[in-house]
Amino acid sequence: MDKQLIVRGVTRMEFKRFITYLIPWFILLGIGLYAMYLVFRYGLNHTNMDNRFAFGLWIYFDLAIIALGAGAFFTGLLLYVFKRHEFKSVINSAVVIGFICYSGAIAALVVDVGQPLRAWFTLYRPNAHSMLAEVTFCLTLYLFVLAVEYVPIVLKNRKLKQIPSFLVFEFKLHTFMPILAGIGALLSFFHQGSLGGMFGVLNGQPFAFRETVFVFPSTFFLFVLSAIAAGPSFVLLTTWIVSKISGKRVVTKNVFMSLGKISGILLIVYVLFKSIDSLIWLNKTSPAVGFSAADHYGFAPFGIWILSVEIIVLGLIPGLILISKKLRAKTPWLLTGAVLACAGVALNRFVTTIQTLSLPTLPFADFLTYVPTWEEVAIFLMVIAYGVIVYSFSFRYLPLFPQERELNRR
Amino acid sequence: MFPWVHEFRWEIGHLIFTGGFALVLVAILTAITLVFKKVYQIYKRRQVEKILWQATFEDFPSQTRTCRHAISGVLKQRVCNNHFECGACAVHKQLIEHGIPEKVLAAAGDYGNMEIFGLNIPLDRMYHRGHTWVKQDDEGNYLVGLDDFGKRLIGKPEEVVLPEIGSRLYANGTAWKVKRGKADTRILSPVDGEVLETGDDEKGWYLKIKPAADNSDTSHLLKSGKEVKAWFMKELERLQFALASDGIGVSLADGGVLIDDLPKSHPDADWDGVYGEMFLEP
Amino acid sequence: MDTRNKIKSDNRKHPRYGMVVDLDRCKGCGSCSIACAVENNQQPATPDMNNRTGVTWMRLYKVHNGEPFPDSRAVFVPMFCQQCDDTPCLYVCPQNAVELDPMTGIVAQIPERCFGCRYCMAACPYEARYFNWWDPVWPEGMEKTLNPDVSPRMRGVVEKCNFCHGRWQKARAKAAAEGRRELREDEYVPACVESCPMGALTFGNLDDPDSKVSKLVKDPDTFKILGQFGTKPKVYYRTTRSWVRRAVNRDVYSEKKEKVHG
Ligand code: SF4
Ligand code: SF4
Repeated sequence: MDKQLIVRGVTRMEFKRFITYLIPWFILLGIGLYAMYLVFRYGLNHTNMDNRFAFGLWIYFDLAIIALGAGAFFTGLLLYVFKRHEFKSVINSAVVIGFICYSGAIAALVVDVGQPLRAWFTLYRPNAHSMLAEVTFCLTLYLFVLAVEYVPIVLKNRKLKQIPSFLVFEFKLHTFMPILAGIGALLSFFHQGSLGGMFGVLNGQPFAFRETVFVFPSTFFLFVLSAIAAGPSFVLLTTWIVSKISGKRVVTKNVFMSLGKISGILLIVYVLFKSIDSLIWLNKTSPAVGFSAADHYGFAPFGIWILSVEIIVLGLIPGLILISKKLRAKTPWLLTGAVLACAGVALNRFVTTIQTLSLPTLPFADFLTYVPTWEEVAIFLMVIAYGVIVYSFSFRYLPLFPQERELNRR
Repeated sequence: MFPWVHEFRWEIGHLIFTGGFALVLVAILTAITLVFKKVYQIYKRRQVEKILWQATFEDFPSQTRTCRHAISGVLKQRVCNNHFECGACAVHKQLIEHGIPEKVLAAAGDYGNMEIFGLNIPLDRMYHRGHTWVKQDDEGNYLVGLDDFGKRLIGKPEEVVLPEIGSRLYANGTAWKVKRGKADTRILSPVDGEVLETGDDEKGWYLKIKPAADNSDTSHLLKSGKEVKAWFMKELERLQFALASDGIGVSLADGGVLIDDLPKSHPDADWDGVYGEMFLEP
Repeated sequence: MDTRNKIKSDNRKHPRYGMVVDLDRCKGCGSCSIACAVENNQQPATPDMNNRTGVTWMRLYKVHNGEPFPDSRAVFVPMFCQQCDDTPCLYVCPQNAVELDPMTGIVAQIPERCFGCRYCMAACPYEARYFNWWDPVWPEGMEKTLNPDVSPRMRGVVEKCNFCHGRWQKARAKAAAEGRRELREDEYVPACVESCPMGALTFGNLDDPDSKVSKLVKDPDTFKILGQFGTKPKVYYRTTRSWVRRAVNRDVYSEKKEKVHG
């Protein structure tokens, strides 16, 4: 039965081995589900968040995986709208990753809010001025789009495609992909941006507050830029990891290099704007309300080093590595660049959420630290485990990499 | 968000916000509705088999999609993007109108007899790229059978599921199904028509088909000896390639003759994968 | 919005309630906190809670001058929702759970709409918002102390000071019964103001030039905490001691810019 479901002409590990390899992930999933039960049953006191540290690990995690998940829409945009056909070989995988990232983020959000059952109210009667309302709208719609994009991949499963109506449906749905990719790009632009805007509008948090550029705070655009810069790198990394774990070549080298190149170019643009933004913020926006750089970076461990690491080590350097044709051609460099790029966006999201809340605004309030509880960590790991499991099953039973069959002939 | 909801305000910001999202939602839903509508139309117009073939075709690697004129050497290089429906292909039409294939093939010299690795390839019939042949009998009906290459690939099948008499077949749609060991595949029908009679290996043909009144196009079939031979050469190459995916050095020929029952002589190869390649069902 | 439309149609001038906290009078006794908790049915603290997870709409900070022993001084700063006129928490709430009541200028929190995303808590520079991390539990017998005019909140929603909105409604109902539309100054006073034995809290209509608050607000010793953020709080603080002023407010820049009065 199992064999019947696997893509024709490719080999996958024994079913038993496959399940054995997934067991640890299922355990993590189970622990996470238990933690989720505790939070739903007894409330958010099972976390270490508090009245001032109102956002914690989960919000940080949401922001980070949504940024990394940007690879899905961006690859789709490049393939279907800009007709970069080389990305056909990773689009399915990118869509699955995007779906995992977004559904995982939404799962974490559902645990994170106090009364998840009331969330529909945002859709029914939103506060149009709230960045979070915009995020909610775009996320909901985009997850729907991702699900619609996932469907054709599922229908291409060997057994499922033998049902004629499924395949016909898949074929016709596929003709609408450019439209869906366009819509996906629009929605992603707005929610990636609004996630940044969410913090940029906080005039009560001088660490987060930024000047307005065309209606939105500058972080709106910086978040979009950093997400599309890191997205391709994340697709590159996951693809590489998949090919290492499965021991197969799944795409040709030039696809890796194209992904790296795009990441690199965007990263350089991002670093440029991020630096300008930081300078304006440190010299104008923030002093105007009585906060100097020392007020933001005077508390250990969040010294000014964190800004330099973000901009130089995890921004400029991977950017330069990835735009250099020579370096990018060497796999270790390519991977280093991609890892640094992803780490850079993760650090940026960390600073935006955690550091903002650590810093005091009231002159007599303290600098705070926060350490997540095991429940918070467990739910964080649960989402990762969920991702690994969904991806593993998809890789086993769905044609994620159309080039795989050809590339593995000797 | 909605005008009837308590405290709705007719403000520009509000309208842009909710209007924008309503538009996006409508666009997505319209797209999905259109898909359903198209699927419905396909069923109504009985184009299912055609669409299934087109959907399958999309998944072929470019090797498999090589144009027949590139195989025969008339064109240097060409990947088919017409689902092997030569009747609908502008390039094919032009080439035929100017008689170019004949000229090129004539210039290519004589191919000698049609023995390739001992394959029996009679030229009194037309060949389909899914390894079936079609031959018109005296009454004008089509006899359809598996070509020698296909026969040797399948060897002695455990199971053959033939279509019911009276059922309608479509060119490039499923004609019948075979199962050999762990591998199975469907055999594509070379022509449109109604099944009159079913045969078997003994008879040498599997189906007798009454040509469809609305479609008797056979331009997608290979007829000329040189073209057929070039194609078989290409198929042997593809077979080598497909078998090589397991890394087993497979010798296909025995004393210059293709082995009769390939799965039997190479039981370890991934015949399922090979069938997918060779019978055009990825 | 029904109320808002009605308000537009009548051109009565509505009060803008505000408060002045006299830091020189506050002795940090905590009466205001207790009065507030009792008045507003705040969930009682349990041993599981700490000073960062409990609900204390009215919170006292003890601020030191940082000098060693003989010169060491401390001041108590009552901190609660500053009723910002340019309301950051209202602006960010996706669920419209925060409203600025045009009838009173009070920033109202509507817990029934709140889904507990806590974005407003991140937005508030005064740390004046409290989340119900626990299911509220009133120990046996204590439920008798519940104020029937204020509905208790459930777990998972945010709440904060609303100048004892329940008291305002009650006072208004009483006035209406007597055929009046306006309230007298002493008719509506929040619980904390009433309870302060030192008279450190002054409450009233900021728009009424004759009210005690509006006179105090004009005093040069009165200032807004973090006024430079532009959130336009309606709660003012006042002190004559310069170290207190420096310790409590970051007015280095704002002094130059807005002269802090007002
Ligand atoms: S003090 Fe905080 S809670 Fe009160 S209105 Fe201002 S931002 Fe909102
Ligand atoms: S926690 Fe409640 S009041 Fe605060 S922003 Fe979220 S929904 Fe609004």
